Amino acid sequence: MKDGDRLGKISLSQAPPDTPLRIVDVFGFHGVRRRLLALGFHKGDIIELDLRGIFHGPILVKNLTADTSVALGRGIARKIMVEIIEERE
Amino acid sequence: MKKENNFPDVIFIGQPNCGKSTLFNAIAGLKADTSNFPGTSVEHTHSKVNVEGKILNIIDLPGTYSLNPSDPTEKVALTHLFLEKPDLVINVIDASILGRSLELTLELIELRYPVVVALNMIDLADKKGVEIDIKKLEMLLGIPVVPTIASHGRGIKELLDVALKSLGKGLTVSPIKWSKDVEEKIIELESQLPEDFPVVANTRFTAITMIETNKLFFEKILKEINPSLKTVLDKVRHDLESMHSAPAYEVISAERHHLALKLFEESSTVKRGKRISLEERIDDVVMHPFFGYLILLAVFFAFFFIIFEIGNPLEELLLKPLSSLRHFLALNLGTGLFFYLTDGLLQGIGGGLAIVLPYFVPLLFLMSFLEDVGYLARAGFLMDTFMHRIGLHGKSVSPFILGFGCNVPAIIHTRILDSRRDRIITSLLIPFIPCSARTTIILALVAFYLGPLWALGFYVFNFLLVAVLGRIITLFFKTPSPGLILEIPSLKFPSFKNMLKKTLFQLRSFIKIAWPILIAGSIVLGFLQFLNFDRYINLILSPLVVKGLGLPQELGVTLVFGFLRKELSLVMMLQALGVGYKDLMTVISKEQLIVFTVFISFFIPCLSTVVLLWKEMGRKVAMISVALNTGVAIVLSFITRLVLRG
Repeated sequence: MKDGDRLGKISLSQAPPDTPLRIVDVFGFHGVRRRLLALGFHKGDIIELDLRGIFHGPILVKNLTADTSVALGRGIARKIMVEIIEERE
Repeated sequence: MKKENNFPDVIFIGQPNCGKSTLFNAIAGLKADTSNFPGTSVEHTHSKVNVEGKILNIIDLPGTYSLNPSDPTEKVALTHLFLEKPDLVINVIDASILGRSLELTLELIELRYPVVVALNMIDLADKKGVEIDIKKLEMLLGIPVVPTIASHGRGIKELLDVALKSLGKGLTVSPIKWSKDVEEKIIELESQLPEDFPVVANTRFTAITMIETNKLFFEKILKEINPSLKTVLDKVRHDLESMHSAPAYEVISAERHHLALKLFEESSTVKRGKRISLEERIDDVVMHPFFGYLILLAVFFAFFFIIFEIGNPLEELLLKPLSSLRHFLALNLGTGLFFYLTDGLLQGIGGGLAIVLPYFVPLLFLMSFLEDVGYLARAGFLMDTFMHRIGLHGKSVSPFILGFGCNVPAIIHTRILDSRRDRIITSLLIPFIPCSARTTIILALVAFYLGPLWALGFYVFNFLLVAVLGRIITLFFKTPSPGLILEIPSLKFPSFKNMLKKTLFQLRSFIKIAWPILIAGSIVLGFLQFLNFDRYINLILSPLVVKGLGLPQELGVTLVFGFLRKELSLVMMLQALGVGYKDLMTVISKEQLIVFTVFISFFIPCLSTVVLLWKEMGRKVAMISVALNTGVAIVLSFITRLVLRG
């Protein structure tokens, strides 16, 4: 895995809504990583940002691969790196 | 392993919110508390059931996402599973999210215990356009799969039939193989396990768990007792990590994840296309940054007024015959001991019947409606922003909301919080949340005598207080909150039967615990009044009650009972003042009633809350809580008195 920023690799907190995104990396403590894994959020999964709470509130993320919805605090969303999946893919 | 009896143990396990408790209840009767909020059962429930003449010892475990949990409540699930080998594991899974649910199933299969899958909420999967080929799934997993709809009681008989047949039968098929390189590493470690190694379930499962675990003490002990095995473990982890450039536990988890998704794809067909489901459209509104909050407010006001509108006429209706009965008693029983005791008994029964129940029953019912529909998790999402302002996050909303029911389970429920910091802050704030009994009293006394707007105002004031206190308490903690990770369950059509069951379940605890205390307390008060002993208590408390709060001296004695349960003070107020329900406002002023309500609402948490706080969080937290509540109660009621006096 390359360390350099690939084109389109952004944190989930900055991702555009209603666009399919692929999880490329999860940073943060083991606790948070394990919790996300348990809820079915793995590297490579396709997710979508459904809603953003006001005043830097949480975001609602839909995992299109596992078909589950999870509310994530912004702090946690910042630790999830995603890439936008091009329409033609 | 030692067992209490010879009945076979059947364990119910599943991911949070898969309908496990509902299924368990359908089988065991009214035992577990169910809801549409992830992680409601934090303690396990045992029950004995008779299935076609065979007695089974069934155990409902708290929901767990995996066998290697990160959440403290989930750990409860596992100690049970690992300590005693069950005769059967019933894995309840949410069919509408089959892909993820199968991850736990795959872990359970690794245990090699007999497993039966209850494919629950099959109707919801159907609605989502997911069609599952059950025969195919059974074949792929190598274990029986029974479709169920627990909320309607469907598939339960079939499940029990299959369960009886599978009792004690180990799995015959070999575990589904993972990627070759991962598999090799597992075998490498497995083969190095010494003969006398404390194996859990089987050597393969033990090896996998060793790779996955993150327990420092385990590593340390292993290094002490078997350094060569520790070296093998480190090497295996290192190899996995360098092959997949991810931590070893993530490699293992990814194996299960991909396998689960593959099984899902092979056994199901999804007919969905691009159509946005109705649920998503509803969620777009319910969780909308603007409309969502409007709805939240509307729900709150509706909640409040519906309860008041139902409770108020009922209270009036029930109070009338009670006060005539009291009149009748007063005229016919004289002023002896017998009168005081009978009056106490009547006040206790009447208080519960006429003051508590008319509001309590609709409150419990509406609460279970909001829970079952799935609104509470959504409220958690909306409230997260505000909880951040007071230094917590949206996950604390769930214990808080439970706190409106009763503070005791709310404190137990703080176990779902990932950090101790959040647990302490939330536990200290919970006693300030007006529980259902206190809400009932606020409605039955404040709203009844002063009008619903006063009660509503009091409620809003209460919220502000929780926010301010939260802000202050978090100042004492340096570390920030780890942040929200909360599953949002799908919206469900609540089943009337389920809501009714839950209402009765919670009502039962009022009838069994609180009401007897109320009746006993009222009789004791009657006895004290007969002996004139209440005067001494009143005299001792008079500096606080009369000088501090400006209340009639007679109310002092009710504070003693208030420590048992806060609402007792308010219900017993009438008896202590020696007036009927109608005449209350002739002996006490509007201001005094408000001051008294403020004091009682925030004063020492009730006995069971203190005991639980002590047990869960330690003596220090319990003591801080008592001091904090009493301090706040004194200060606030004093301020209220000054403000109202103008």
